[in-house]
Order: sequence, then C-alpha cells, then structure tokens
Amino acid sequence: MIENKSNNLLIEKLSLQVNSFQEGFRILSESKDIAEIGKNFVHLLRGNLLVVNINLFHKRNNKEDWNELFIQNPESKEYLNNFTFSDDFQLEFKNDEEYKVYTAIKCIDGSYFGIIIGDKIDKSNFNSLDAVTLQIFIRLLDNAYQTHLARIKEKELIFSLNHKVLQLNSLVDTGIEITKLENNTQLLELALERAVALTNASKGIMRIVSSEKQIACLKLPNNIDEEETLKSKDKIETRVEYRGLTYIVTLFDKESRTGFTHFDPTDEILLTAFARQVQGAVENKQLHKEALENETIKKELSVASSIQKKIIPSKLPTIDGYEIAGINISSKEVGGDYYDCRILPDGRVALIMADVAGKGVPASLLVSTLSASLHAYLETNISLEDLAGKLNKIIYKSSTADKFITCFISILDPSTGKLDILNAGHNPSLHLKKDKKLKKIEAGGVALGMFDMGIPFKGEKSVIEKGERILMFTDGIPEAMNENEVEYSDERLEKFCIDNCFHDAEKFIDELVADVRSFTKDTPQSDDITALYLIRKM
Amino acid sequence: MVSEFNLSSEVKDNCVVINTSGYVNNLGGQKIIDEFNTHHQKGIKNYVLNLAESKVVNSIGISFLIEVIEKLNDSNGKLVFANLDPSVDKTFTIMGLFHYAEKAQDVDEGIKLLQDG
Repeated sequence: MIENKSNNLLIEKLSLQVNSFQEGFRILSESKDIAEIGKNFVHLLRGNLLVVNINLFHKRNNKEDWNELFIQNPESKEYLNNFTFSDDFQLEFKNDEEYKVYTAIKCIDGSYFGIIIGDKIDKSNFNSLDAVTLQIFIRLLDNAYQTHLARIKEKELIFSLNHKVLQLNSLVDTGIEITKLENNTQLLELALERAVALTNASKGIMRIVSSEKQIACLKLPNNIDEEETLKSKDKIETRVEYRGLTYIVTLFDKESRTGFTHFDPTDEILLTAFARQVQGAVENKQLHKEALENETIKKELSVASSIQKKIIPSKLPTIDGYEIAGINISSKEVGGDYYDCRILPDGRVALIMADVAGKGVPASLLVSTLSASLHAYLETNISLEDLAGKLNKIIYKSSTADKFITCFISILDPSTGKLDILNAGHNPSLHLKKDKKLKKIEAGGVALGMFDMGIPFKGEKSVIEKGERILMFTDGIPEAMNENEVEYSDERLEKFCIDNCFHDAEKFIDELVADVRSFTKDTPQSDDITALYLIRKM
Repeated sequence: MVSEFNLSSEVKDNCVVINTSGYVNNLGGQKIIDEFNTHHQKGIKNYVLNLAESKVVNSIGISFLIEVIEKLNDSNGKLVFANLDPSVDKTFTIMGLFHYAEKAQDVDEGIKLLQDG
C-alpha cells in the first residue's frame, strides 16, 4: 500500500516534470532571437533547479571570444577558462567549488553555449535528479537553438527565392519598359539601374564606344569617378555591338550585408541578359523608326502617285480627222515623265511630252509645276518661244541645280495639219511621212530650268499630211535595257515605227510597249515609258 | 541618373519622416537603420519612409528595411513607405515587405495612416 502510494507520487512528479520540459521547449523554441533564448533558458533552469546564480555565454566558434547571453553574476566571466571542450556533452558537478557546474556544448553550426552555475538556493549539493534535469534542459537549449537556426535559414531562403523572382520579373519588366521609352539615353539609364540593383552591385558604368573612341558614358551613382571605378578588381563586364557602336556595361563591387562579396555566375547571366535586352530594344527602336519612315514615304508616294495620275490624262480628247493614243508606265510609284493633249480655246490642239531629270517625289513635283504652268499659259495666245521662256524661268526657280525638264510641245491646227513645234532638249519626235520615211523633229533648245541666262528658244513649223504619223516619246523607250545591259535603241524604235505603220493609234502603242517588253524580258524597268502617237487619217 | 545616397529626417505629429535620395544599397540601408535606431531608442514608434528620390533599391538595402520592420513589429510600432516609384513598389511587393508595412501616396497620407492606427 505504502509502496503503491510512493509509486503514484513518483509518477505524478515525473508527469509534472515532463510537462515542465514540454513547456520549456515551447518557450525556448518560440524565442525570437538568441538573446531571448538565453534569457528564457536561464529562467526555466532557475525554476526547475532552484539555483540563483546561472550564467550563460555563447561564442560563434572556437577562435572567437565568449559573448554574454544572460549572466547573473559578472564575476562568473573569470571562470570561462574552466570550460573543457569536447564533441560529446559532459556534465560534471563540482560540489566543493564556488561554481558547481562548468559546461560547454557544441551546437550544430559549430558555435558553443557555455553555462556556469552557482549554488542551489538551499545550499544543498546537486543530486542525480538535478543532473538529469540539467541535461534535459541543456538538450532543450540545443534543440531550440537548432530551431532558431532553421528559422533564420528559412527566412534567408524565402528572401533568396523572392529575390530570384524579383530578378526574373525585373528582367521581363525591363524588356517591356525599355521598348516604351522614346529616348535612347533613358533606355540605357533604366537598363543600367536594373542591372546594378538586381546584381547588388554598388556601382555601374555604361560606356558607348565608336571607332575605339568613347563617345558617351553613363554612371550609377552619377558622381562616381569613372577612372578610379574602372580600376576596381571586383567587376563583371559585357559588351554589345550594334551599328558601329559598342556598348560596354561594367558592374563593380558586389555588396553583401556584411560588406562586399564576389559576383557569381548568375550575376554574369543577368548582366548579359540586360545587355541583350538593350541591344534588342535599340534595334527594335531603329527598325520601328525605319518602318515608320518607310510607311510615311509610301503614303507620300501614294499621294504623289494619285496626283500624277490626275495630271496625266486618263482619256485623250477626240480630234476630228485624227487618231491619238498615249501611254505612261512609271518605273517607280511616281515618275518624272509627263504627256498631255489639250484642245485650246481657238480649236488648236496642244500635244506635250516632257521628262524630268530624276524620278520619285521631287520629279513628280516638277511635273505638277510644269503641268499647271502649261495649262495657265496655253489658255492665252502666247507664242511657243515665249511660253518656253516663261516655263524655263518657273522651272529654274522651282528646282534644284540637278533638276530640269526636257520638253516637246507641238501646237496642231487640226484643219490644216500645221504644227508649231518647240523642243526643249527632248528626244526628237519621229514624223513618218507618206513615203514611209522618218523625219526626226529636232527643233533644238536647252532643257527647261537648266539655265536662266536668257538663251532664246527657237520654234519650228511643220505639217502633218493625211496618212502621216508622229510619235512623241521619252528616253525610257530607246534606253530600255535588257539583261545584257544593251539598249532598245533609237534604231530599233525607228524600224518599229516604219514596220508598224498600218496599226491604228491604240494598237500601235500597245505593240510598241509589247516590243519593248519582249526586248527587256524580265529585266526590271529602270525608267518611265511614255509615248504619244498621232495619226492624221486619210 | 541615380545619385549617391543621402538622408534627412524630421518629426511630424509624433511620426518620424525619413526622406531619402539615391541608391538604397548597403550604404543607404545602413544609414536608414542608423537614423531609425536614433529615434526608436527615444521611444518613437511611427515612421514614414519617403522614397520619392530613391528609384533604385537593391536586396541588401531591402534587408535593412526588413530589419526596421521587424524591430517595429516587436515594439508595436509601424512603418509606412511613401512616394514609391512603381518599380520600387513592385520590388517591395515581390520581396513581401507589404505583409508587415503599409504604403502611402505621399508623406501626409502616410502620417494619417499611422495616426488612424
């Protein structure tokens, strides 16, 4: 009976002790830092061992000095040399000394806890139960410290993972953001800022080099000394070449929480990725700019083309006793050739063939000027010589030195077939006479707009008899080239005129174009093809 | 371009407003926590960190800010970030800073947030 009661008391006591250990572990493991662990450990130990003088120390490793974690008696520090270090935890009571316990335990991270304990409150000696209790609490301290370390590692891991996410996210974001920036300097600044921040570099420099000469330099922070910074040994660098420029990005002195560390391969990958993004963005910006410019040019050409189509007659007028047909095939969107046929107020007919030096929009602008001026002056009863003089002045003033217009103008009196002709530097027109012989209408004079020196233009008179034909054309026909760079030639054109004199005007023009095409085959058309064909019917 | 780190502070309505300019890195982070500690030791618990002039922050700088947040959590204090550049805002979001600190459009809104509790 007494034995049972004694056993029950022991069980109850052990049960209380176990609860105390469990609670002790909870308190220790929930401590937020090592200082709190130390404080809680001392409190727990004091309550369970009933001792008053407990002193706890910690040191990072064997080489460093002890740090006080929680001490109740400053003098205890004098006994720190009494510790014996071993990998196995050993506990030994020294009941006859001032401090009864000197023990040091080695932790999982190579650090040590040192414990110095004085007397029990009742001055009694430590017994075997005290030894077990102390051993258990020291193990709890070790476990709580391990939990504390795990928690630190967990935080570091989360921080590191977040940082990796940030790096990836920033890489993607930067790629998007820099494409939105209008200004190339802003783009390069942003890329440098991101590269520096995400690699934890303390400084960064971006140099732009052209033909081995530095033409620009961006720095972060902006007040660092470029020369001094470049001397740094801890740096990573990458370079990108684009359109004759070399972009050299260098990052310096990687930071850590305790000072500086070394750049790692991930930093180099990140830097290269940022540099590639810059290259891609600069390249895209340039291509986009060029595409916009091309688009603008296309639009302008389209407008010029539609204006020119309105200038060149879509349908020629009907002239009693005559057949007339014309064609204009531009080699580009807009050409520099022009022809027209217009009934004048007095019933005569103006036939015009012109060729502006050059092609494209500048040439088409001159064509517009010529057309508008011609239409204005032809409404008046001006002589061809005077007309050419006035046109010459207008074109001279409206054009650059390399731009001029060759022009063939003929005023036909339909009733008589009489022709007033003026040729300002243009190809001679071909007049096929009744006898099937060709006469070249030279009617000399310089091109319009070439000089403004008052050189007079001299007209010529001629007659187109019934059954005769006149071909006006630009040099795009005789100078059309085949794949061997051989020209269609004046001779072939003259022979064509003689050999095809039986066609009506429309058919003649069609056959002429077909003959030129059969000569040039697949060779791209290098110049405008323009012709006007007049037949005086029998 | 980003300048070297500089800092100033003022106490407004029992809140410490810390204004920074330049790169928040190791140097910047250390200066922030030093300034914070000076006021925290005097018992001030509410802080606005005005990052209007700091557009670039690295992770070392962030670790200092986390330390400020942790110290304030332990002392029932509060930190509000103000005038964040969008990229810094995103950086703080990814690094989890807004789990324990708030953000405000400007310093006045930050002070109001702290006073409203």
